Amino acid sequence: MARLHQQRWCVATALLVPWLSLASPSLVKVAGVSPSWAVLWLLPWALVDGPVSGALAGLGLALLLDGLHPGSLSQIPALVLLGWWWGRIGRRGRPIERSFNLGLLALLGSLALNGTLWLQLALLAWRGGRTSGLAGDSAPTQVAAGMEVGADLGVDPGLFATPGWHLSDLLAAGLHTLLAQTLITALLAPMLCSLLLLLWRQQSSTLRG
Amino acid sequence: MPALRWPRLPSLRLIQQASPWLLLFLALGAIRFSKGAFLNDLYALLSRPFWPGTAQEEWLRSAQQLDDQARLGQLEQDNKRLRGLLDLQRGAEQRITAPVISREAAGWWQQLLLGRGSLAGLHAGDAVLAPGGLIGRITQVTPTTASVTLLTDPHSHVGVWVGRTQRHGLLTGVGTSRPVLRFLEKDPQVRPGDVVVSSPASTLVPPNLTVGVIQSVDDKAVPAPEAVVQLSAPVDAVDWVQVVTRTP
Repeated sequence: MARLHQQRWCVATALLVPWLSLASPSLVKVAGVSPSWAVLWLLPWALVDGPVSGALAGLGLALLLDGLHPGSLSQIPALVLLGWWWGRIGRRGRPIERSFNLGLLALLGSLALNGTLWLQLALLAWRGGRTSGLAGDSAPTQVAAGMEVGADLGVDPGLFATPGWHLSDLLAAGLHTLLAQTLITALLAPMLCSLLLLLWRQQSSTLRG
Repeated sequence: MPALRWPRLPSLRLIQQASPWLLLFLALGAIRFSKGAFLNDLYALLSRPFWPGTAQEEWLRSAQQLDDQARLGQLEQDNKRLRGLLDLQRGAEQRITAPVISREAAGWWQQLLLGRGSLAGLHAGDAVLAPGGLIGRITQVTPTTASVTLLTDPHSHVGVWVGRTQRHGLLTGVGTSRPVLRFLEKDPQVRPGDVVVSSPASTLVPPNLTVGVIQSVDDKAVPAPEAVVQLSAPVDAVDWVQVVTRTP
């Protein structure tokens, strides 16, 4: 049994994910969208360290990343499930080594992550509510201010109650982000994940041996 | 009674002798009927070496700029004084410069992280300006950082108006690089190229800050027309921003 999570410095490398997300180096961007660093780090970790450790690592990473962003969108469900799934793949059958397989797994993971975010936005838009903590204080003030103006101009105040997101916006912006992030993540995965995978395998075998 | 005599035709020799003068008068007649076209062209050709050069144009332009700047300053002062008279502004404005330490201008979240926070006097809700105009508002602050939600973020709603037609609208980010301006009236009478500024009635952002330019108008949108706005500040390139804080 691998015990990667008992090595403190191995766990500490997870801090690279929020750091890279914040720094967002412009070299590895497609159409302004950064790769999903969480997927790139979580994939080799879960493959080596198993489903439970993978799911917990996913949860930790998602909590860190959600803290960086305002609003109520969450990456927790996607990353936990991905950690669990990749951990099971790593345990069963022959170990995954070929870079093409890593790329495909990262592609599916990035698709799932972006898909859940898209779904959450779609649900929030469908519910018609304002979608963020910011909106919590600003939108009503804005609407109130607008209503004053609207009353002066003879405008129907009901116009202010329409939600910010429309389905067409979701299709345009969400699809762009999803495609760009999936593409760059899947392109980087064979390079970065195979290196990390080698490192984690070496560590776990020295720990075991 | 003398017989009516036909006037004698001038002899051919006379016509030959006078032909230069005839030609001259023909030319003068042509000038008269063309309203001096030839004469003007001739004058332009001859006076070309003495036309005002580029240097003179630059002087004039710099003088014009100086004039514009002076008038802008005057108008701003005047505006402030009048707003003071109307009690529109509740507190003094202060501008704090802050560096951008993280930038995420595309994707699911569109935000900047500034390297100054509540210790420097920033508050959530402050408007953030870049060279070129308004780019967003501060969402949350920590002691040394502040995160800015850009106007392009789907969570951003800011009241703006089109100065030319004086129509109000709600500028909503949709996740792309160009936010959507939703008008409040059925017939906003705007067209591409109109400049969008922050609303004088807005309680959230300072009035009359440049936001962007209308790129296209969709008249058939429901419930009210929409326009796509190109922001005037280049969000991808800003390194330093100014935060407008209000001291009550």
